[in-house]
Amino acid sequence: MFDFIINLINNNYEILKHITTPLRWIFVVLAIYILVKAILSLLSTRATPEVWGYMYVEGGYNLPISHWENLIGRSSSSDLKIDNKSVSRNHAIMMRRKDGSWIIKDLSSKNGTVVNGTRLEQGKKYLINTGDEIVFGNVKCNLAAISFEESRNNEELRRMDREPMSPWKSLIAVTIFQILSILQLMIGMRNNFNQSSALSIIGISLLMWAYVIFFKKKGRKAFEMEIIAFFMSTISLLVTASASPTETFKQFIAICIGVFLLIVLCYFQRDLERTKTIRLTLIVLSIGLLLFNLIFGTAKFGATNWVSIGGMSLQPSELVKVAFILIGAGTLEELFRKNNLYQYMAFSAFCLLCLAIMRDFGTALIFFSTYLVVSYLRSGDFSRLILTGGAAGFFGLIVLRFMPYIADRFGAWRHVWEPEFVNGMGYQQTRTMSYGAGGGLLGLGGGNGGLKNIPAANTDLVFGYVMEEWGYIIAILLVLCIITLSLFAVNSIVAGRSTFYTIASCGAATMFMVQTMLNVFGSVDLFPLTGVTFPFISTGGTSMLASWAMLSYFKVSDMRKNASIAVTEEVEGYA
Amino acid sequence: MLKLERRARICLLIAGILFLGMVFFTFKYVSEGGDWAGFYGNTQIYTAGEINRGEISDRHDNILLSCSKDGVKYNEDSDVRAGTIFAVGDTKGNISTGAINMWKSELIGYDLLNGTYDKSQGGKKLKLSIDAGASKVAYNSLNGREGFIGVFNYKTGEIMTLVNSPAIDPLGDIPQNPDSPVFFNTFMLGKLTPGSTFKLVTSVAAIRNMDTDAFSFKCDGINNFHGVNIRCTGNHGNVDFEEALVKSCNGAYGEISRTVGSKNLKAAAKDAGLMDSIDVDGIQAEKGSFDFPNNDDIELSWAGIGQHKDLINPCSMMVFMGAIANDGKAVKPTMIDKTNFFKKKKGGKIIGEYISPDIANKIKSMMKSTVEDNYGSSRFSGLDIYAKSGTAETGGKKSDSWFVGFLGDEAHPYAFVTWVKGGGTGYITAGEVANDTLQALVSNN
Repeated sequence: MFDFIINLINNNYEILKHITTPLRWIFVVLAIYILVKAILSLLSTRATPEVWGYMYVEGGYNLPISHWENLIGRSSSSDLKIDNKSVSRNHAIMMRRKDGSWIIKDLSSKNGTVVNGTRLEQGKKYLINTGDEIVFGNVKCNLAAISFEESRNNEELRRMDREPMSPWKSLIAVTIFQILSILQLMIGMRNNFNQSSALSIIGISLLMWAYVIFFKKKGRKAFEMEIIAFFMSTISLLVTASASPTETFKQFIAICIGVFLLIVLCYFQRDLERTKTIRLTLIVLSIGLLLFNLIFGTAKFGATNWVSIGGMSLQPSELVKVAFILIGAGTLEELFRKNNLYQYMAFSAFCLLCLAIMRDFGTALIFFSTYLVVSYLRSGDFSRLILTGGAAGFFGLIVLRFMPYIADRFGAWRHVWEPEFVNGMGYQQTRTMSYGAGGGLLGLGGGNGGLKNIPAANTDLVFGYVMEEWGYIIAILLVLCIITLSLFAVNSIVAGRSTFYTIASCGAATMFMVQTMLNVFGSVDLFPLTGVTFPFISTGGTSMLASWAMLSYFKVSDMRKNASIAVTEEVEGYA
Repeated sequence: MLKLERRARICLLIAGILFLGMVFFTFKYVSEGGDWAGFYGNTQIYTAGEINRGEISDRHDNILLSCSKDGVKYNEDSDVRAGTIFAVGDTKGNISTGAINMWKSELIGYDLLNGTYDKSQGGKKLKLSIDAGASKVAYNSLNGREGFIGVFNYKTGEIMTLVNSPAIDPLGDIPQNPDSPVFFNTFMLGKLTPGSTFKLVTSVAAIRNMDTDAFSFKCDGINNFHGVNIRCTGNHGNVDFEEALVKSCNGAYGEISRTVGSKNLKAAAKDAGLMDSIDVDGIQAEKGSFDFPNNDDIELSWAGIGQHKDLINPCSMMVFMGAIANDGKAVKPTMIDKTNFFKKKKGGKIIGEYISPDIANKIKSMMKSTVEDNYGSSRFSGLDIYAKSGTAETGGKKSDSWFVGFLGDEAHPYAFVTWVKGGGTGYITAGEVANDTLQALVSNN
């Protein structure tokens, strides 16, 4: 059947090649429909916070308790703000338990906290129940349960939020895109197109339908992120099928594992306590992986960040990325404990050291920026951020000094078109821009590209690859998708249950964005070329798998009602 | 949580940087995409280092260059190849002003929407306004001497001939050194001493600033002024303003220059566009440079005669000639042929009114007299020619020969600039090249 079609195309090529002309339009229109619709749905999200109870403050006002973790104090950034001189700026925190009761902890406040006449010892956690009288400084408060009626009203309000978009039309559009893309690749590549590539594209289509149908049956409503990820993964398969057809099926398998990992991680993270405790295991595993890499690693394009096990090559640092996010996350209570941050700092330093030894400069940058953002989210301390940034800058200079190869790349930066660099350090960038611009807004059509002959075309230069074969519009939309995921993560904090989840989603957002920046800007000479992958797009099994796994952090932050597979409606909160 | 909400703005900052980066990239992509796509490293449009699609033809659809995956084909006539090389350019990019290099993105069929997508892979046809036949005549007339001729239609702006000599035959021996003078487009990029042709500019200043009817000068051939001789080619005797130009009397123009003064001479040169760079579809011509000292009458005299430090760009001189012919209005020269009938009818884009119609007509009639009374119309049989020659002293054994002017012929409104290095008397040497070329242009078009 496959050979028959290829033969048919070969025999009628002179006529069939003209199909590409209208197909280019169809691809772009479909991509705009699929992605813009998903982007708009995500960006227009306004999740109304869930209300878990009320704090009745003496003097006659009620503060709604809308998170699992709440900071009580006088500062304007407190979740329950009590404006009284006797209350410290960060006075106490209150955390919700699974059974609906609450835990309270005094944060070394000046005037202390008294629950039902008992003065709280600092650093100790106390169980409180609705009706309990709590005195912060000299302000008397009462914890009130949410009444049945209020609860129903809240539910009503949440129901009135904009519903997540229905996935069906988008799925059909993606499927049409996928089927037509097989046709396009057949025309563009003819005998070079292989059957396993075709099967992989059909495979991802089936996987996408199965995923959505299954979770739709389970009552979940929001699939924008998954649709974006499936679309981007499809582009990845198309790029791989065109650049190195023998790897397409491997790439498809990586997507399958990635989707599986996403589901596992989503379910796992439903329970905060469980997620918190896994961190230590992850630290040990990550250290092991990195050490394993250091010992058994092989070099590729200058960086020793690959390990081959029985014919499969693996990039351990990609897996550590996923763990790195979770290890950096922390609950509100943990944010007030210094040792928790030190542990994270030490782990980050270890990762950076390993990456420096591997000479994987790009990944080191990704880790470092993520570390900076996460530690800022945790401490809110800008001066420390600047201090660490300065130290890193100094460290970077030393790296540049001792790694002439990287220094050369910096030397060519913004000068790649000059004769001195155009066929040397600027070789890849100039080709990326040249072939990319050659694609125009609509692209030359899958399989018709010329960038594929340049080293790392389908990984580090993949942005140019997509521009050339699928056009500038689709390439730009892919970047906008990454930006959208990040905006969504930030936007969801309002309704977030725990800082743990919001730090994780913001950390993942940072990682995705920095990675995209280094990849895209590096390949078009806005940054020095560092050679990192584009999330979901670049060819590479580990990178694809890690991208899907990271998506779970965004799913966890999706607080729209019945939306995300990573959030339960039942209250599973604190243990 | 509220704390995090605030701190998370740092993520928005990163998103903002990524977004702005894309905006910046888009800007670069839109403005430079054509150049990027036309880069020689792009194997979609280059085969073995040579462009593999597109076709360049002259105004009569004679193919000058056609590119395909099988290689590059030039015109079969070697004199046409050499005569059009500065308009067409070479595939190695040595002649930077050539069409292949200047309008590569048009040639490969690049546009923003489609990029280099071309289902026929044939590229675009780029039609130049030049006349290949006349270019060949011009090239042969220059006969290997160092020089050039540029001709354009002063109504529509179309460049009809752009020949520099010596020139390479792209299929013959090509110097390895990219800086070799044979690659230099002197007409567009050169700066030369104008000699007596500059007296036209000085005349403009004179008509504007003095009573030219009352002017008279007694030339004794030596014209000693404050101990310095401002020699003429002969003893012109008593000359009035018009005779001064017809006879190209240095002594008279020295006095005119001193009378109008530094400021007015400078203004005239500026108004004539000689200090500006002419833009030909993106090719930026060189601009001229002058020095009109206001404290040295000797140097000022020579500056008004077209010597001293005067340097003009030939292309801007051609446009000035066109302005004189066209009631003072200068038309922007172009080389990409716009086959649009309406546009041709309407005429080219007017850069500005260099001089008033009255002055233009006055100069025009003086140039006619110069041809009739000095050079002899018989040298230019059948051409309604207005001209001024020049013989520039540049320190060589023999002075450089200039011949500039235009045709008054409605059907053939051509302005021209010719120069032959060491050619001696302007209207004889350069005049012959101009005549040969114009005769060919008139009969071909």
